[in-house]
Amino acid sequence: MKQHPLCTDTEHAPSVMDLPIPAGLKQEWASLQTRRRFLGRTGKVLGWAALASLLGDRALSGDAQAASTQSASAAPAAGDWRLPYFAPKAKRAIYLFMSGGPPQMDLLDYKPNLAALYDKDIPDSVRGAQQLTGMTAGQARFPIAPSHWAFQRYGKSGTWVSDLLPYTARMVDDLTIIKTTNTDAINHEPAIMLMNTGNMNAGKPCLGSWLAYGLGSMNDNLPTFMVLQTKVNAKENNQPVSSRLWSSGFLSSEYAGVGLRSAGDLVLYLTDPNGVDREVRRKMLDAVNAINQQTSQELGDPETNSRISQYEMAYRMQASVPELADLSKEPQSTWDLYGPEAKEPGTFAYNCLMARRMAERDVRFVQVYKRGWDVHGDVTGVLPILCQETDRGCYALVTDLKQRGLLDDTLVIWAGEFGRTVYSQGGLTHDNYGRDHHPRCFTTWMTGGGARPGITYGETDEYSYNIVKDPVPVRDFNATILHCLGIDHNKLTYKIQGLDQKLTGTTPASVVPGLLA
Amino acid sequence: MKTGQIAALFSDRLPRRSKLTRAAWAAAMAITVVLLLLPWLFKLDGKQHADWQQFLGRFHPLVVHLPIGLLLLVPVLEIAGARQSALREAAGFVLGLGFIGCLSAVTLGYLLAYGSGDAGPGVTRHMWGGITLTIGVLVCLLARPWWTSRSVPRVYPVLLICVLMLLSWAAHQGGSLTYGSSYLTRYMPAPMKRFLVLGKVQAKTVPGSFYAKHIDPIFDANCVSCHGGEKVKGGLRLDSYASLMDGGKEGAVIVAGKPEQSLLLKRVTLPPGQKHFMPAEGKPPLKPEEIAWIRSWILAGASPAATTVAGVSIHGETEVPLVPVGDYSGFMPEIAKMVNRQGAKLTPVSSKPSDGLILHTEDVAATFSDAQLAQFQKFAPYIVEAELGGTAVTNASFDTLGKFTHLRALHLERTAVTGDGLSKLAALSQLTYLNLSGTKVTEAALTPLRSMRNLHHIYIYNTPAQPATVALSTHAVARKMP
Repeated sequence: MKQHPLCTDTEHAPSVMDLPIPAGLKQEWASLQTRRRFLGRTGKVLGWAALASLLGDRALSGDAQAASTQSASAAPAAGDWRLPYFAPKAKRAIYLFMSGGPPQMDLLDYKPNLAALYDKDIPDSVRGAQQLTGMTAGQARFPIAPSHWAFQRYGKSGTWVSDLLPYTARMVDDLTIIKTTNTDAINHEPAIMLMNTGNMNAGKPCLGSWLAYGLGSMNDNLPTFMVLQTKVNAKENNQPVSSRLWSSGFLSSEYAGVGLRSAGDLVLYLTDPNGVDREVRRKMLDAVNAINQQTSQELGDPETNSRISQYEMAYRMQASVPELADLSKEPQSTWDLYGPEAKEPGTFAYNCLMARRMAERDVRFVQVYKRGWDVHGDVTGVLPILCQETDRGCYALVTDLKQRGLLDDTLVIWAGEFGRTVYSQGGLTHDNYGRDHHPRCFTTWMTGGGARPGITYGETDEYSYNIVKDPVPVRDFNATILHCLGIDHNKLTYKIQGLDQKLTGTTPASVVPGLLA
Repeated sequence: MKTGQIAALFSDRLPRRSKLTRAAWAAAMAITVVLLLLPWLFKLDGKQHADWQQFLGRFHPLVVHLPIGLLLLVPVLEIAGARQSALREAAGFVLGLGFIGCLSAVTLGYLLAYGSGDAGPGVTRHMWGGITLTIGVLVCLLARPWWTSRSVPRVYPVLLICVLMLLSWAAHQGGSLTYGSSYLTRYMPAPMKRFLVLGKVQAKTVPGSFYAKHIDPIFDANCVSCHGGEKVKGGLRLDSYASLMDGGKEGAVIVAGKPEQSLLLKRVTLPPGQKHFMPAEGKPPLKPEEIAWIRSWILAGASPAATTVAGVSIHGETEVPLVPVGDYSGFMPEIAKMVNRQGAKLTPVSSKPSDGLILHTEDVAATFSDAQLAQFQKFAPYIVEAELGGTAVTNASFDTLGKFTHLRALHLERTAVTGDGLSKLAALSQLTYLNLSGTKVTEAALTPLRSMRNLHHIYIYNTPAQPATVALSTHAVARKMP
């Protein structure tokens, strides 16, 4: 009988594993033990319950031996937990994340009455007792800054779009524009965490990890969840984007997003060094795996298994990533659509093209990050650059997916972490203004599988400050995304720390029917 | 008074009356009078009354099944009693229990109707059904001793038969209140319906209109049991276009062109659990797409005759209805074996087997050929989607694919198919999506597909069949077939 690792009386004390408690608790206990070990406690850890459960999953696949060298996700779906709960409209999703907080009233939330209110103070009745950021809380005045750009109506839906987005304007009849997305956080890090993981604190799995965990992989040669970062433009006010945002949190690290680099090699050290051929690499991996298997059996840390599968994934990526990144066979029509920028790795257009190629290869979830939207000042100087960088790529991606028949089952999402204030931060002139963070309402859009095309959802007041009708809090936004992919957000849970954790958190969330096709 | 008359009729032939029988008759008379006066003492005026009445009343559907079962048992016991006398003795006891059950069910039922403010012809019919039945059972109970003693042999059997017929009728009325009057006939085979001349009743809508096809069925399934001919809660009926537009006590429920002002839409979109949320009484809420259809229909003018509504494309709205797939669970071990041998995967669409399986070839695309595909033919009845994009399949595979009769989506993009043999797909009545992008397929090869009514999306980007105008058009190359 193995002993409790913390037990000092090695002769008599029973093991937790022998207690008549549910297997799930034992597993949770085992994973807690690994954390304690990590924190510095020494001693052997009994985690075989976790191992047993992993093996159990393989055993179900009907071919335990073959599965033992593959990742768990490579095994055929066994049991219900890796399936959509109901027939999904979308099989995969592409999330275009506009980090920094795009100013909604300069892009898609048209407020014609503001022009007459230029430099007037925003009424107290509108602003209310809301907390402001430290950057503008000390301002003596909150003068209204109408948008510098004109708006026109486009498409059959007659949607108002700013002159800054000529390409987005062409596809409004395909978009589900949500004017009333709102968040609880007013600063970047908590807001971007909330948007991605459903919680302001780091440590929770993000949307992509939940999808990878809940739905599994459709392509064994590429990661289920991939992240593309756009090159930084020094003219813009760039807020950090960290790997916390594509972390798998308490889920196995197999479900974490795999980030491609925006310059140089897409994945570092992916190419074999001189003199190492594929066979040598295979032998080396087999040896490393054998050692890891030993470690796994000895310690039972589930992360060892994740590591084994990640080594295997990296091996397969040695072949699949160069093929993915090889744009030489793209027809001229691709460059006509995405623009010449798309040939340069790391640009937003390039990332959009890569996102389409990943969708073609059945990568479940792709997230493209574009930084720089934090326009506290010089809106008229910086915003046109941002729009010029992103507008065409967004349009090209949606159009390309549509013409290739992929938009039917791919959900595309465009969102930042919050909006921006209607009042000017810093000095307001006729030529320029700044905008501070604004969590109470911001505009996002989605399109494709499951989303209702050609509509604008929700209404903001005439200052684009408060929501008048149909608010969509972040948790509802995420619940709706999961719904499009066939997941009931209340059922996709993972028990840890005594709570059935889920993406939408503990505050009741609901799918927004008005957004669905 | 029914029982009084019957008693008088047979009084000269009745056996000697003991004090006990006399007391029983007196009690029966009293109960009868109370039951008959009930509807006048507590009028069902459609207003809600005390909550405790509703609370108790809601046990009516539970209790009501007891006397039904007991009363149906009585004739069985009586007939079987011809052989085994013990059973016949039990029949009287069961009949007595049945009476107590009837009395409880009537009391609770009345509390339910009175408490929750139910009214309408259906409620009235069910109420009188219940009351008459209870009295009938009571008379049976009193008449049975004549039959067992053979002094008046015919009255009891005749009465019992009448009571059983009354029972069926009253129970059916109750069922119609709960499930709607079309519950039983809804899925009745058409020939039987025609035989029973039920078809004529359907003429209330314009055939083929969006209202008839999509809106009316929503109301029928979710609302009409409380807002229809049987119960008219809030003065609102949703069982015909005219009554829908008439609205209820609170005025119009549909304002054509203005979904936001339409009370009906407001009520069904409230947060569930709110007081005015509809459907009430814990019935399941409308599905999101149903709400979306109602909203779009109102927005488009709430017409009774329009056949299409802007902004609504109903998935699966086709001439040929999509057939659910059979349960493949039994084949799972075999499928797993196949997957291990082949590398191509068969994954369930969802946890519901009737949603079918998807054939994924992404991992082995380069080597997946016609021969490999042929091996999956065995599971064809369960495969609803075949992802063959970028595989090595050729025109020869159309023979095999023609046998995948449940196929709804077929991906052949970036394959070597040229379109010869595409006509073999014409047999796939369920096919709604066909992707031929990046193939050598020509306009002429697509012609046989025009007869496929369900095929709404054909993708021909980057093929000879693609119209020339595309280069940077805002319109996708997705074409809607006639």
